[in-house]
Amino acid sequence: MPPVLSVKDLSVSMNGTKGMVPVLEHLSFDVAQGKTMALVGESGCGKSMTALAIMQLLPEDFRVTSGSILLDGVEVLSASPKELRSLRGNKMSMIFQEPMTALNPLYTVGNQIGEVLRQHRGLSRRDAHAQAIQFLKAVQIPAADKRVDAYPHQLSGGMRQRVMIAMALACKPKLLIADEPTTALDVTVQAQIFDLLSELQDDTDTAIVLITHDLGAVAELADDVAVLYAGRCIEQGAADEIIAHARHPYTRGLMACVPHLQLGRAIDHLAAALDEIPGMVPPLGARGPDCAFLPRCAFASEICRAQPQPPLDRINAGAAVSCWRHQEIAPGAMA
Amino acid sequence: MTTIKSTAVKPDTTMLPARAATSPIAAALRQFARSPAGVAGAVVLILIILATLLGPHLYGVDPLDIAGAPLTPPDADAWLGTDYLGRDILSGLLQGGRATLAVGGVAALITIVIGVTMGSLAGFFGGPIDTALVKVTEFFQILPPLLFAMVLVTLFGQSLVVVTLAIGVVSWPSAARLTRAEFLRLRNLDFVKASRAAGGGNGHLILRVVLPNALPPIIVSATLAIGVAILFEGGLSFLGLGDPNTMSWGLMLGQNRNYVLDAWWTVTFPGAAIFIAVLAISLIGDGINDAINPRLRKRG
Repeated sequence: MPPVLSVKDLSVSMNGTKGMVPVLEHLSFDVAQGKTMALVGESGCGKSMTALAIMQLLPEDFRVTSGSILLDGVEVLSASPKELRSLRGNKMSMIFQEPMTALNPLYTVGNQIGEVLRQHRGLSRRDAHAQAIQFLKAVQIPAADKRVDAYPHQLSGGMRQRVMIAMALACKPKLLIADEPTTALDVTVQAQIFDLLSELQDDTDTAIVLITHDLGAVAELADDVAVLYAGRCIEQGAADEIIAHARHPYTRGLMACVPHLQLGRAIDHLAAALDEIPGMVPPLGARGPDCAFLPRCAFASEICRAQPQPPLDRINAGAAVSCWRHQEIAPGAMA
Repeated sequence: MTTIKSTAVKPDTTMLPARAATSPIAAALRQFARSPAGVAGAVVLILIILATLLGPHLYGVDPLDIAGAPLTPPDADAWLGTDYLGRDILSGLLQGGRATLAVGGVAALITIVIGVTMGSLAGFFGGPIDTALVKVTEFFQILPPLLFAMVLVTLFGQSLVVVTLAIGVVSWPSAARLTRAEFLRLRNLDFVKASRAAGGGNGHLILRVVLPNALPPIIVSATLAIGVAILFEGGLSFLGLGDPNTMSWGLMLGQNRNYVLDAWWTVTFPGAAIFIAVLAISLIGDGINDAINPRLRKRG
């Protein structure tokens, strides 16, 4: 079966004062029906730009410079504005990071969910309202028949994110893009939202592109992972494989930044100190052909400095990495 | 602000009593009712409107008929006296209020319709459309409004319709700038992006998503525009550019201005009527502003 979403060689540039500055370079990935692809990386690595490029909602100064985005066999990049409007919210939809501001404060949540149905399904106002209640129930909002008439300011952050999910899934889209859907929420609510997403995914067989820097969520939800650094994909593969045997020093660094807690065991002081990756993501425009991670990499050597960043090198069926020294860094990970 | 926290994966229904939903409009009305000045303004304006609607029928004197000797002081026959042609002042006030308020209301409506259209298109689309529309707005803004209105009335004739249009055409730039600023602020907010991501087209985004959220300051400025338009009509009429065939407060002021020193009642009463009406409208505007601007609300 062909994948729901197929991104090939996608590059995005920003049209700045100094000409076109690359933001995202040669990104490729596929997401199959019912599967979850996680895009991981620090802020400024191009994760959200990927999402906005797929939705064709890039900010004014940003342009897709090459590549193709096939959604269910349709080329999104060449779709007309009218075709895009019927794709958005219908075949592909998006959940935003900030549930506090992503709902219109002037309309009831039922009205906002119903709006999507009325536009894409041509439902009457009354039918849309009735369906909205069903969707609120599906995202486990208690007293849905009353909440449907609530305004966003009357709901908590977790509730609002549930409403956003209900809106996004109202038309049973093929693809759901979740852009850091839990970053603004309490930790307990985060777990609920992830559980909810995976339950709904089981029911609807939606393909999910999950943008996150929560590696716990990746381990729990994702089938595949692409690690982005400075607009380039530096490691890609099956989630289990990457989490078990990260090969790229950046991915390994990200892993080391996560606390590993175990119940019933006191944390000794050495282990309690979390690692960090020194330095910053290089700013836009300051990214040469060299490995972008070079200045921050503990394993950097002459071989890295002497040549440009290597292309993604396929290690096995489940993993690909872009690093000159991955065999030395993670020798045991050869499959 | 956030009152409800869900603590379990499937929260218990009983712990969350769903409150009756309060629409933002109902909340603003309740807030408005708490502002004494706003309520006073609303009461006065309603009384004025009732007087102009019902008064002419109760006080059966034609405002254009000669009711007595010219410049008769207030007495039992003509309660507020007569003007330089012997026409009844009270009857003029009652009848003339209709024209004055109608000119104010319609001119303010024209101001807001042109201003909001220009401002929302400019602010929403940005880029070259914004530049072009802002240039047009600036062109209208640099013309002195009273002179511009005088030119229009002189060119197209002294009728109430022309006066109303002229006032609307010269006053829209400030509404356009206000609307554009609100649109620039709102168009990049998450819920606008979310609406676009849900498949909303430009028309839907402008009319149903951004404009309703931009309305509070626009409503306030529309209210105040009514007062300004009434003053404008008074000014034009005072300069002799009003409609001579339709009684209005401004016309009474303008026609009797030569007798200010000899017959105070001829100009005092219409002047006071304009003053009270504009004051009432301004108070309502302030009340609405307090009601829908949460930052001012706390100050009390």
